[in-house]
Amino acid sequence: MGAQDLGLFSLALLFIFLLPILYINHRLRLAINKTLAISVVRMCVQLGFVGIYLEFLFKFNSPFLNAAYLLIMISIACQSILRSSNLKLKKLFFPVFLSLLIPFVVVLFFFNAVVVNIDNLFEAKYLIPIGGMLLGNCLRSIIVGLNRFYSGIKKNEKVYLYSISLFNSHIQALKPYFKDAFLSAITPTMASMATIGLVALPGMMTGQILGGSIPMVAIKYQIAIMLSIFYTEYFSTILSVIFSLRVGFNEFDVLNPDIFISTQK
Amino acid sequence: MIQFNSAYLTRKDKKIFDNFNLSIKKNEKILIQGKSGIGKTTFFKVLLGFESLDKGRATFNGWGISKGHIKDIRGSIFYLSQDIDLKNELVRNLLEEIREHNPASLLHKDLQKKMAFLELSIKILDQNVKELSGGERQRLGLLIGFLLDRPVWLLDEPTSALDDPMKKKIADFIAGRDRTIVIISHDEVWKQHPDIKIERWV
Repeated sequence: MGAQDLGLFSLALLFIFLLPILYINHRLRLAINKTLAISVVRMCVQLGFVGIYLEFLFKFNSPFLNAAYLLIMISIACQSILRSSNLKLKKLFFPVFLSLLIPFVVVLFFFNAVVVNIDNLFEAKYLIPIGGMLLGNCLRSIIVGLNRFYSGIKKNEKVYLYSISLFNSHIQALKPYFKDAFLSAITPTMASMATIGLVALPGMMTGQILGGSIPMVAIKYQIAIMLSIFYTEYFSTILSVIFSLRVGFNEFDVLNPDIFISTQK
Repeated sequence: MIQFNSAYLTRKDKKIFDNFNLSIKKNEKILIQGKSGIGKTTFFKVLLGFESLDKGRATFNGWGISKGHIKDIRGSIFYLSQDIDLKNELVRNLLEEIREHNPASLLHKDLQKKMAFLELSIKILDQNVKELSGGERQRLGLLIGFLLDRPVWLLDEPTSALDDPMKKKIADFIAGRDRTIVIISHDEVWKQHPDIKIERWV
């Protein structure tokens, strides 16, 4: 069973369509050909490497290696979260790392142990692709959450401080900014749960069906993964805000200006 | 009640406090005068812990402005900021939220009487803070202060958006309170008041 292998030559044939696209871009003076070329090359090189080390991981299937791989993935995820949210890596790395790690580990192992019911919890075949899907989706929500939270307070700093003076409570003054940030972080996933399957088949299902699973199996996996993604996102977004508070504010609850990369003075 | 001893504070290369000293006793009423940028608002912000001194000591009720005391200090101060930076919310909900977090305050007691005194219509309770006019917002800020009735009031331009009879009424009322009150204002009514001590900063 499994999908028919693609010949390297036939895969290369698919690149033929790039030629008219490059030509049209050129004629329309879109000036994106260089970016496009870089993107395509990067995709091929990166996926090539992933292929090589996944084969390696799958071959050894060592719990230690697999766990180490996941930790590295989380670290890289942290880095890209902080880079996209204009927040300082050095100060916030640890809080974001923990807020990804805790929900991720709980959901992932529940998924493997209870839902899929596999014996080896560190089985590379499940651990790595599912871990990757969870992480990839959490990235967006943590970026949106942290970004909106801190930029909202920065933008309305006077109102925020005035709320502290009226309520004499840090948490109460933070609430509106947290609410706004949290809703914008998790709403897209709820929306995609509501429309999934109507327009396009999710990538994971497509993969499973091509890989030889019957549609019902693929659909059960898809439901399980959507729920897992939502849970991980939900808790890691909340935790990322909570864990970052200690670094984000000084001892008098005033926003710490040096957590932002570009401080406008 | 409030004491600054050899305080120094520099912001963006500008010396705001340069060996600044001040002492305000309990229930004193002080009007601070001085040109803008001299640090009047910063003085309030240091007391509230929103800004910190570079050097020197500020105390409130004998407490240093420190992590351990900041909640007690903030709970004792009613601060009216110049722009009355209330968050945008239905006025009724805002008052309710303030009451919830200030269980000891008089909030909601005498609400209607105090609103009538400030000539605020009951209708504003069902409006959003953003929909209020400048004068209404200023009076809403004062209303919150009257209802909270904390021991120390720091008022930054509390009457700038009000008409003359209203300024007079409020100045008389505030000057008669048994509270420690510090006012920053350019309005004449405060200067003329016999119970208010003037502190000129140059």
